[in-house]
Amino acid sequence: MQGGVFEPLIPVFAFGANVLIQVLSARHIRGLGLLKSIFLGFGAGLLCLLLLEGYAYFIRPRVSADFISAAVADAVTYSALGYGYFHFINLGVTARRIRLLIEVKDSSGLTLEELLSRYNAKEMVSNRLGRLLGSGQVALKDGRYFIGKPVMLLAANAMTALKLLVLGKKSEFD
Amino acid sequence: MKTLLWGSVIFGVSFILHLGIWKVRLPKRQTRALLLIFFGSLAAFFVFFLVSASLSLQGCISVGLFVVSLTLAYIITYSAMEVDSPSLVMVNAIAGAGTEGLPKGRFDEMMTDDVLVIPRIKDLLRDGHVYLEGGRYRLTPKGESFIRIFIFYRKLLRAPLRGG
Repeated sequence: MQGGVFEPLIPVFAFGANVLIQVLSARHIRGLGLLKSIFLGFGAGLLCLLLLEGYAYFIRPRVSADFISAAVADAVTYSALGYGYFHFINLGVTARRIRLLIEVKDSSGLTLEELLSRYNAKEMVSNRLGRLLGSGQVALKDGRYFIGKPVMLLAANAMTALKLLVLGKKSEFD
Repeated sequence: MKTLLWGSVIFGVSFILHLGIWKVRLPKRQTRALLLIFFGSLAAFFVFFLVSASLSLQGCISVGLFVVSLTLAYIITYSAMEVDSPSLVMVNAIAGAGTEGLPKGRFDEMMTDDVLVIPRIKDLLRDGHVYLEGGRYRLTPKGESFIRIFIFYRKLLRAPLRGG
């Protein structure tokens, strides 16, 4: 394994540790929650990455600049894989398309009315608004909604800016 | 240094190419087009590395992983960009009301099936995940395979089967 393909595959090994710890913690640590299991997995993978980088330096010492740039590239690769994994899990849990597909799968075919009776805007808004109110991102006072903590608003603004840059519009309905 | 440099160059060139193509004409199958652009650029650079012998096998693997991971991260972000996320729609609507706040009744009027659900059903039809037969939506084999991955993963994580 010395030299060879061990060093370039360090981010993949670290990502494997991330997925393993995330799955095990989500399954076996009671009350941890999905989001915390994702953070725990990412942290464990990062630790694995650092240990493997140290090992790689130990078996093949290099000039500091080369080692640091390789370690930074590996950290970027690992972070991108971790980010993708987070979104994959999030997609499976919150995406409307996935929920609609599950409803269709659990039936022998659904009309539009039947599909909307099983999953509709009212249920979706209730689920998500509950999370936004619960996390303090949105506040309800005297029958009116207000922005609470600004994190989701910042995310919404960042997403709008990205949409304008790439797609040239603010919304899919523009 | 080579991985960071070449990886960033390949990803940057692909991204600029993607922006240029998108300004001229939005492709019908956008995810497929993105995969073609980013992985096509990576393949072209690999040919260049082979011909010029400027990168070792180790270097090629590192650069390949660097570009593939950034590409997958970008594509998954792009899928969130293509459609309006309900949570972000809600937050934008509330923010748009300013300091007076958004009355609950007005908020409920804005969040309809036509805005939040019907467009996603149309996406499922367009992407070939479901088909319409006799007024009923049914899964295609592609839709069946696609949803199995998520159902398996939800079971693996012991997450609730129905999300959304």
